[in-house]
Amino acid sequence: MNIEDRVLNSVKGVLDKRPEVTLDSRLLEDLLVDSLDKLMILSAIEDEFGLEIEEKFADVHTVKDIVVKLKARGY
Amino acid sequence: MDRKEFYKRLWVDESLAEVTGYNPYYLSVNSGLNERLLVNGCKMIDLASNNYLGLATDTRVKQAAIEAVQKYGVSLCGTPIATGYIDLFQRLEEELSSFVGLERTVILPSCYQANNGLFSCLAGSEDLIVVDRLVHSSLIQGIKAAGCKIRPFLHNNLNHLEGILQRSSSYRQVFVVTESVFSTEGSLAPFKEIVELCEKYGAMPIIDDSHGIGVLGKSGQGILEEQKIEGYKGIYTASLGKALANSGGMISGEKRVIDFLKYYCSHLVYSTALSPAVLAGISAVLDIIRVEFAGIKHRLNSYQRQIHESLSEGGFEVAACEAPINSIETGSKEVTFILAQKLYDKGILSTPFIEPSVPLNQGRVRLIAGAGLSQGTVNEAVAIIKRIGAS
Ligand SMILES: Cc1ncc(COP(=O)(O)O)c(C=O)c1O
Repeated sequence: MNIEDRVLNSVKGVLDKRPEVTLDSRLLEDLLVDSLDKLMILSAIEDEFGLEIEEKFADVHTVKDIVVKLKARGY
Repeated sequence: MDRKEFYKRLWVDESLAEVTGYNPYYLSVNSGLNERLLVNGCKMIDLASNNYLGLATDTRVKQAAIEAVQKYGVSLCGTPIATGYIDLFQRLEEELSSFVGLERTVILPSCYQANNGLFSCLAGSEDLIVVDRLVHSSLIQGIKAAGCKIRPFLHNNLNHLEGILQRSSSYRQVFVVTESVFSTEGSLAPFKEIVELCEKYGAMPIIDDSHGIGVLGKSGQGILEEQKIEGYKGIYTASLGKALANSGGMISGEKRVIDFLKYYCSHLVYSTALSPAVLAGISAVLDIIRVEFAGIKHRLNSYQRQIHESLSEGGFEVAACEAPINSIETGSKEVTFILAQKLYDKGILSTPFIEPSVPLNQGRVRLIAGAGLSQGTVNEAVAIIKRIGAS
């Protein structure tokens, strides 16, 4: 599975009750993510990629931004 | 510091109240929780308070409070570690421990405070707290203050929880935190299974039974009795301001944990002890529960069912409730406010929940018909609800 799909699956796995998740989905406006959802997303990404995320991902707005961050880390 | 800027930042968004023409917050209440509640001078049916058992205005409870005031005055003007630890306080700790079936108890001024203070005493940066995504703000704030790793799990989802626990062996301590009754949803945690998972993975369960104590279980002893959880080795907190009809918060568990909190929980040690009237009031409520619970619970369940049926008949989307709560799924905050207003206009006081009390766009209007109401009042509420639904 490519990194995009792995991120998408991780996000979908923890966002129940949301209609559709795509790479372009905006976390706040489209997916109505609150601070706890964000923590769940970060945890799911940590598990999927076996890494520790210390930063808060404050500058992440869309699902794609997560992919970009991970790629910048060499994934 | 620019004071003008400072005050400008302290801005309350009241646009929703302006749009809907109704602000459900800080309504002026001019009576006690009687058969009718006086709100802004109007008689209302109380489907909003957490007076589950209807004991907040019970004559025997009032009498106990009055006698305590006569004996001890209104306050001991000290924290429990200092002058606040009167014999009533100590006795109530013992009564509450035996009521919920745990070894020891401490009593704080509120459960908000208990939940806020607990985690920073017990957990630190090397620890993990796994928490149900929908728990009460007091738990979230308390957990955040502990400075440990936090992993929320999907509401009541045992698979998600177990997945997290499986991957959590590298932490010094792992805590699993949840509530018995999720009061905005009316859902019940599968706590027995959660305790079993904690056993399996060496984690410490922590349960907030605020809406379960005095309500759940055959004799009202709460979630542990309800789910027949024996020999519970975790930590238990609950509010004394809901079914127990007074105020305060309790933390119960093994002697070692409670002895530690008694010296190291700043929220307990540095805050004025519950007043004598409240201590005596809680004790009187426990006495009533011991004798009369079956009858009270029967009324509570029956009222819940009647309100539920009227909501379904009225065409409202009601969550499947496992507690004496009816939760209408209203969605957006506007729809939530509008429904609460309609109920208010027709004489029913309800509790609307909008974000951040619930996730975004998952607004709710909650109705609790306490056992203290008469059947006649519930009949009226039922008729009003059906009429609003039909309109
Ligand atoms: C689940 C839960 N925990 C804690 C609290 C706080 O309790 P208290 O009012 O005693 O501070 C509440 C009350 O709203 C609650 O619903």
